[in-house]
Amino acid sequence: MNEPLLELDGVDKTYRFFKLSAVALRLEAGQIMGFVGPNGAGKSTTIRIAMGMIRQDRGTVRVLGQPIPAMQAVAKRDIGFVSEDMRLHAGLTLDWHMTFVSSIYPGWDASYAAQLLERFNLHPEQAIKALSHGERVKATLLLVLARRPRLLLLDEPTTGLDPVARHEVLAELMDVVRDDRRAILFSSHNTQDVEQISDYITFIDRGCIIDSSDKETFLDGWRRLHLDVPPGATLPELRGVVETRTSGRLAVVTTRAYSPEIDAVYERAGARVADVQRMSLEEIFVANVMHNRRERVA
Amino acid sequence: MNSSIVLQLILKDLYLVRWIVASSLAAGLVAIAVMPLSGVAAYVGGVSLICTIVILNITLVMSTVVQERKDKVLLFILSLPISTTQYVAAKMASNAIAFIGPWVVLTLAVIAMIGSSAIPDGILPFLITVLVYLLMYYCVLLGVAVVSESSAWHAVVITIGNISVNFLIPLLLSRPSVYTHRTGAEAVWTGDLVSVIAIEVAAGVAALVAAYFVRSRTADFV
Repeated sequence: MNEPLLELDGVDKTYRFFKLSAVALRLEAGQIMGFVGPNGAGKSTTIRIAMGMIRQDRGTVRVLGQPIPAMQAVAKRDIGFVSEDMRLHAGLTLDWHMTFVSSIYPGWDASYAAQLLERFNLHPEQAIKALSHGERVKATLLLVLARRPRLLLLDEPTTGLDPVARHEVLAELMDVVRDDRRAILFSSHNTQDVEQISDYITFIDRGCIIDSSDKETFLDGWRRLHLDVPPGATLPELRGVVETRTSGRLAVVTTRAYSPEIDAVYERAGARVADVQRMSLEEIFVANVMHNRRERVA
Repeated sequence: MNSSIVLQLILKDLYLVRWIVASSLAAGLVAIAVMPLSGVAAYVGGVSLICTIVILNITLVMSTVVQERKDKVLLFILSLPISTTQYVAAKMASNAIAFIGPWVVLTLAVIAMIGSSAIPDGILPFLITVLVYLLMYYCVLLGVAVVSESSAWHAVVITIGNISVNFLIPLLLSRPSVYTHRTGAEAVWTGDLVSVIAIEVAAGVAALVAAYFVRSRTADFV
């Protein structure tokens, strides 16, 4: 097994009104992990703990083999961090920022930076305060990508971007992991973006990791079944079913562990399987979160 | 890489405040230059010098520490290969250079002006005590701004700092040791003035050391 670029184990962080509990994450080279959760779920806190900006109360964090926060300065040489609320110096130009960052990172790739300027249609002499939100995100991403970091930690980078800017940013990110020494942790509450670029997905809600797997496992396993249940028939309780809603003869069953055998089990119980629908990542995310919340209450 | 990045951060902050520092220095030197012209000019020049140093103090701390945090530029800086302790060290060093540099120049200019003008040398210990007080005020404000994100605390320190200068001056002038020697031909460094200066220096250093100690051990930086 490869040494992970990012590894969190049993990480706790308690605030007055929020608690991050037993967070465990593992990200290997070549992977893009979508880190999905509602607002306030703990995505930013988790990523900032990985960056050493917030100190965990318990648990271990290792990034690029370095313990965090103790060796954050060493680890951050090869981490690119972009956050939706990160800002550059408003009164200075992009060119100034490029010179500043390149003076810190010996591996700064000037020709790649020039390519990114072209692709993102950015003008280096423009002051940061004159940039639109989308341009500012792209400028920040340029400053990160031109360093050629091995690990990208991206905290909601596509929030507030128009569709074209989002496409440009996501395309660039997918380009980055063509080099299989690199990895990306990409947090978002926009499941479309995550579905587009991630090969692994972790769901977080209310400070707890609720599910984590590769994207295909999620998309293959989750199904919504529409059943016709005649009077007198009773639906059996099956493993993997997270929700059953009934209205008269109609029942809608959501399962996380679909196989064709499930259809046969329901048919034997007297129900008719009218339809089996694949679920989008957004539907899977919502169903997963709601199921987890009900389980916690129970 | 790390010592060089600390240096880069210091240079970055100095670049950002270059116009504030240059204009304050120029304004302070003009204020000192007009002081020997007449009694009224000495008063106007003295008040202008104090105001210039106070404005430099507040502007520096607000723009490089408080605003950086409020504008979320801190996230960008902390994403660079630097520990939080090194960040605090760089921030305090750049601020110290940006303030203490002009402060030293202006203090030396005051000494030179007193030595070369008709203004009696006896006033010098009083002026130096006031200037060191402004240095202490700066250290305390910087320390509080580094440690606390609360605008209320910043406002409290600024208010107390500004008002206290108005009390300090008459308080010092009412001291017989200052009052007696202020018009004399020679600067007389009495024991109580030296003690006040020593307390001011100690308080300033203590504020900076405490701020560095507390902030570099802060668990959550953002």
